[in-house]
Amino acid sequence: MPETTTGIRVRPLDELDIGGIVRIDERIGGVYRPDFWESRVMYYLRRDPQSSQVAEADGRIVGFMLADVRAGEFGLEEPSGWIERFGIDPDYRGRDLGRALFNAIAAHFRELGATRIRTLAVQSDAVVGFLTRLGFEPAPLVALEMRVPAGGQESR
Amino acid sequence: MKFEKITLEKKYHDAVEHWRRHYLKDYDTLLESWEKYFPQDEPFCLCAKLEVGMPDTVPVGDHAGEKKRLAPDQLTEEEAKHLLAIIRAQASTEFGSIQQHAGTLERAQDDEDRFWVLRVMAEELRHGYQMFHLLLSQDWTHVSGGVKGEEMVEEILSMQTGSHVLDAFNLEYDSFVDNIVFAALIDRVGKYQLTMQKACAYKPMADSMPPMLREEAFHLAAGVIPMRRWARRAAEGNPLISMAMIQKSINKWFARGLEMFGDERGGESNVRMGFKDMKNRQAQDLYIEEVRRMVRDINARFLRARFPEYAPDRVEQVVDEMERSRTAHRGVEFEELLRLPDRRFFRRKGEPAFSMVGFEDESFTEPEVYLRHIAKHLPEAYLASRDLKNYAEVLRQVAGGQLSVAEGIMKMPKLKRVGGNCPCSRAVRWVMEEPATPGSGRPAA
Repeated sequence: MPETTTGIRVRPLDELDIGGIVRIDERIGGVYRPDFWESRVMYYLRRDPQSSQVAEADGRIVGFMLADVRAGEFGLEEPSGWIERFGIDPDYRGRDLGRALFNAIAAHFRELGATRIRTLAVQSDAVVGFLTRLGFEPAPLVALEMRVPAGGQESR
Repeated sequence: MKFEKITLEKKYHDAVEHWRRHYLKDYDTLLESWEKYFPQDEPFCLCAKLEVGMPDTVPVGDHAGEKKRLAPDQLTEEEAKHLLAIIRAQASTEFGSIQQHAGTLERAQDDEDRFWVLRVMAEELRHGYQMFHLLLSQDWTHVSGGVKGEEMVEEILSMQTGSHVLDAFNLEYDSFVDNIVFAALIDRVGKYQLTMQKACAYKPMADSMPPMLREEAFHLAAGVIPMRRWARRAAEGNPLISMAMIQKSINKWFARGLEMFGDERGGESNVRMGFKDMKNRQAQDLYIEEVRRMVRDINARFLRARFPEYAPDRVEQVVDEMERSRTAHRGVEFEELLRLPDRRFFRRKGEPAFSMVGFEDESFTEPEVYLRHIAKHLPEAYLASRDLKNYAEVLRQVAGGQLSVAEGIMKMPKLKRVGGNCPCSRAVRWVMEEPATPGSGRPAA
């Protein structure tokens, strides 16, 4: 298993990590969401447990990154690694854990034959700076969205 | 994650399909509902999968550094016999667990739980199919006493709950709680066995492991996540599930799970021959620690549901306090939390077989007192089972000196319904008895 800062281990996600992920999410966002994370972790374990990684210190989860490889979506035929969610325990920030998690995932994506890694982030979010430092850059794809039209106001 | 997909020769493929029509009746429903419950996942494939790009050299044992073997005749006779027993036992567990799950599947309260277990069953079927590929793709007759692959397949498909190789697969489920706890505990042993077998000196076996392990990760989650949800419901006062129900099911399966690693003193030959990279006790110790983590995780979920105002650190602190002091916390009794039984509790194989050690390390000398003790800790519906009746009889004989411990071990399991009642089964012609002495670890579903 890859080691990062002393005493921290990066390893693939497993089903016993849910409590740790819920805890980090609550520390970051202030909301306790076990049901949501049970569902998301199940999704990623089902897809490929090695595509998602956690960082562990003294037997405790201090960071996570959930990802998978998909192809054929949005006209993107080539297999792409998609990073959906990640979080680092506030007490463990500044130790390059995010990069360690990303490197482990990128290595696995490479083994799977993915040539691109993709993600979506809110432009104003601080996380964009982290992603940029990892090597992400604005993609030619544009994320578009709209409200679902109310009944009787179908788009023309 | 590149793998080669292999379909068995038609007659064998059809035999597996035929078998699943008896024991996996909802298979078609699963496939029809796949998109609903498992969106974006690859469709299910009843096929063998061999990982591409796995190491070519043996990593452990006497042959470390040599090229992995590609055919049974490249192994010594002793090695080939040993490996054949592992493959056969592994195949038995895969089909056995489907038969067990089928008995209580329909009792699931939630459709999602039911479909998760259905998928687990389908993937166990694929794992059994994978073992058949290993049995059928090469000639093992020089170490099977002349028994052909075809006959081994027939034997395995004719096994029923009661005639499988390992005890854990000869116990019937008492309720859907068993479906879930089995996935969380017994499939976890499977994860350990598959992980150890990734090192296997026989390359087709090693290459079979990664796809099975990926599926096993889902199986464990299909056990742990419903348990977490049940813990929440129990904490909220839902009368249809309780921590005590989960605890009793854990007590039923934990001992059987530990025994699936093989005798604590054994496993040397597996490592020496390069079939696994850990000895039995070493793997069992890691397993126990992992189950301890699981129990703690579920307790934390339970306490947080009872005290939603608690911060995560406070919950951890309360779990620690309750475990240390064994006292109540704001109306939650210590006994309401899940606990791991002593590793010697209710054991009938391995080092502590018939040693009459209690749930919490208590020592017993009288079998009747010990039986009352274990009865208190096991699911009520299980108490009236033939399995427990047999266990009680053997325990009395071992305690009374009529049987040695080794003889007692040989008496378990006693249920040998060979031949069975499935229309596709026939009388079993070939049974390879497993040694009861310290020896090999055994695989799992």
